[in-house]
Amino acid sequence: MTRVNTVLGTISAHELGFVAIHEHIGYGMPGSELDSRWWKTPEERYDETVPKLRQFHENAKPWGAATFVDATGICNGRDVDYYKSLSAKTEVHIVASTGFVGGDTALPFFERASVEYLTDQFVHEIDVGIGTSGAKAGIIKVGVSRGFKMKELDKRIYRAAARASKVTGAPIFTHLAVDCEPALAIFAEEGLPCHRVLFGHADDGVSQGRINEQAILAAGGRIGFDTFGYDLELPDPPFWGRPRQERLDHLLRYLQGGLVDQVLVSADANCSPLGWPGVKGHTVNYLFEQLIPDLHGAGIDDATIDRIFAQLAAEFLTLQPISAQ
Amino acid sequence: MCLKHSRGAAEPVPPFTSLFLDRPADREATVGTVNTVLGAVEASQLGVTLLSEALMYVLPGAEYAFDIRIDRAEVFDRLAARLAEFKAAGGGTIVDATGMFQGRDLRLYEALSRATGVHIVATSGQGPENMLGGYFLTPQTNPPTPWPAQKFAEMFGREVNEGMVVPRLERRAPAGMICTAVSLEGMTATDGSLVRGAARAGATYGVPVFIRCGSDALAELQLAIEESMRPDRVVIAGLDRRDAVAKGWPLAVAQAGACVGIDHVGSTDPFYVSDAERVALVLDLIGAGHADRIVLSSSATGVAFGEPGNDLPFATVLTTFVPMLEQAGVSRDLIDQILITNPARLLSVGGEA
Repeated sequence: MTRVNTVLGTISAHELGFVAIHEHIGYGMPGSELDSRWWKTPEERYDETVPKLRQFHENAKPWGAATFVDATGICNGRDVDYYKSLSAKTEVHIVASTGFVGGDTALPFFERASVEYLTDQFVHEIDVGIGTSGAKAGIIKVGVSRGFKMKELDKRIYRAAARASKVTGAPIFTHLAVDCEPALAIFAEEGLPCHRVLFGHADDGVSQGRINEQAILAAGGRIGFDTFGYDLELPDPPFWGRPRQERLDHLLRYLQGGLVDQVLVSADANCSPLGWPGVKGHTVNYLFEQLIPDLHGAGIDDATIDRIFAQLAAEFLTLQPISAQ
Repeated sequence: MCLKHSRGAAEPVPPFTSLFLDRPADREATVGTVNTVLGAVEASQLGVTLLSEALMYVLPGAEYAFDIRIDRAEVFDRLAARLAEFKAAGGGTIVDATGMFQGRDLRLYEALSRATGVHIVATSGQGPENMLGGYFLTPQTNPPTPWPAQKFAEMFGREVNEGMVVPRLERRAPAGMICTAVSLEGMTATDGSLVRGAARAGATYGVPVFIRCGSDALAELQLAIEESMRPDRVVIAGLDRRDAVAKGWPLAVAQAGACVGIDHVGSTDPFYVSDAERVALVLDLIGAGHADRIVLSSSATGVAFGEPGNDLPFATVLTTFVPMLEQAGVSRDLIDQILITNPARLLSVGGEA
């Protein structure tokens, strides 16, 4: 039996269909909620979000269903009751995350918390539920603070995530794949096999030259090509953008080099950003509108595309507790 | 060292001009009145006022903790009981000096004020740096430069000029004071931006600025004054800290024309002086001619989540400290000045009680 936690309940991995593994309904840095320049009415929020999810659902029909993994984490505007309503009305499966985007998005209460407390927090959100929503998290978010170097709090969060992953079986995905050596050391010390970890944003523009891809691959980790669509060709690209062809070529090197099973792919788009302008025109549907045609154009077959977006993602999201030795 | 401490250099100080900020809203009635959660109230109506209390304190992030449940009905009853006790002891107004990011709940405070008849003043501001969210410290820009004073001034100023925020939803009543704090181990660049931003907003919109002092109260006061903040509109709080008293800050702050926050009345924490020493401090300030610069409070936490808080009643100043002052020979007039006149003058928009 396979089990995956979505915000509307635990489902079989066979029901997931096409999976966008690293996305956001809406992301905002903690504190951005105080700055009214970003506020939108509930009507605007639904209006910006529902059509994108409905389109995602339509686009994914050949795969039977659409699954949207929300990578927002605690303190960044994660709003699980809202996600539940979106999922119910659009039929898109939404997987919520526990954990933190990085130490610099963990508020003082969690900044002061021990590894043990953080572990309990993550385990509770996966096994019991998030707040009073009743919804269980399906994945654990961790990440590297700004500055391309893991800080002590980042490491504490990674260690707690490794422990929570072993107990609950939920996978881990990271914000940034830079400075991976301390992360790999923590996962080894905690006995978490690295195929349970997706090292995210390995494809973004600012990380290039700072990622030890060989170390991640050697440890069995998964490489996240999950910022597809943040192209420097856009009229106003974000600072982490990258030339479209360069990012595509990077992925193609993996696919053509026999490393399909170690990659996962997503767009990291915001349906309706919470504390920043977002990138106009960039949605999860880039995957269908631009990337898949680009992959076909490069000679990648449908079986490989299915493997990445359906089989590998489902295998990754399936809860796989690791019993203590 | 705190992980979030900014490494940004202090920003250059622009000459102050209110041209940077929106014009104050045209609210004729506000001059000489106080911004409470239920709207403008004549300063003369406040009665005994405590300037530094916490109704609901929430350590940022605690609202997301898996093992913390905030039961609003229970919180309401507990706070209503504490406010009723304060009122019965002769109290009139409580200032919730937690700022905008440590549990402030405007709808709850409005309902509490209606139910108990106690005036409640809620505050804008935040700090010190390690209490801030990442939005202010590592923004999504390259490089992630922490917020400068001007952006804090705009955000705090709008809370006075347009109303305090219910995050992502709406603005309600204008803030009555701006609170900030400086790190105890020394002022960070962002602490400095917070103080300057609070002072710019306070000077422009006429509300007092309340600074929990760090390692150098006079330098921190100086920052606010450099931003055109009148010293008599500034409260330097935490001056009943043992180190603050030892360094002579209370008298120096009063001599500089600012208000001296003796705001841990009833605390038995050794970090602060005892109540007996607080009485001596009050006598010293009165003796030096600074009775008009003294404010008293107890920093009680009505309810606290994420931190232990304390069990002090809001009535502590009235029930335990006032008798000690009387016993020490402080006249009723002076006590009224400290508990009624000084806070009314401070909280009056524009400072004219």
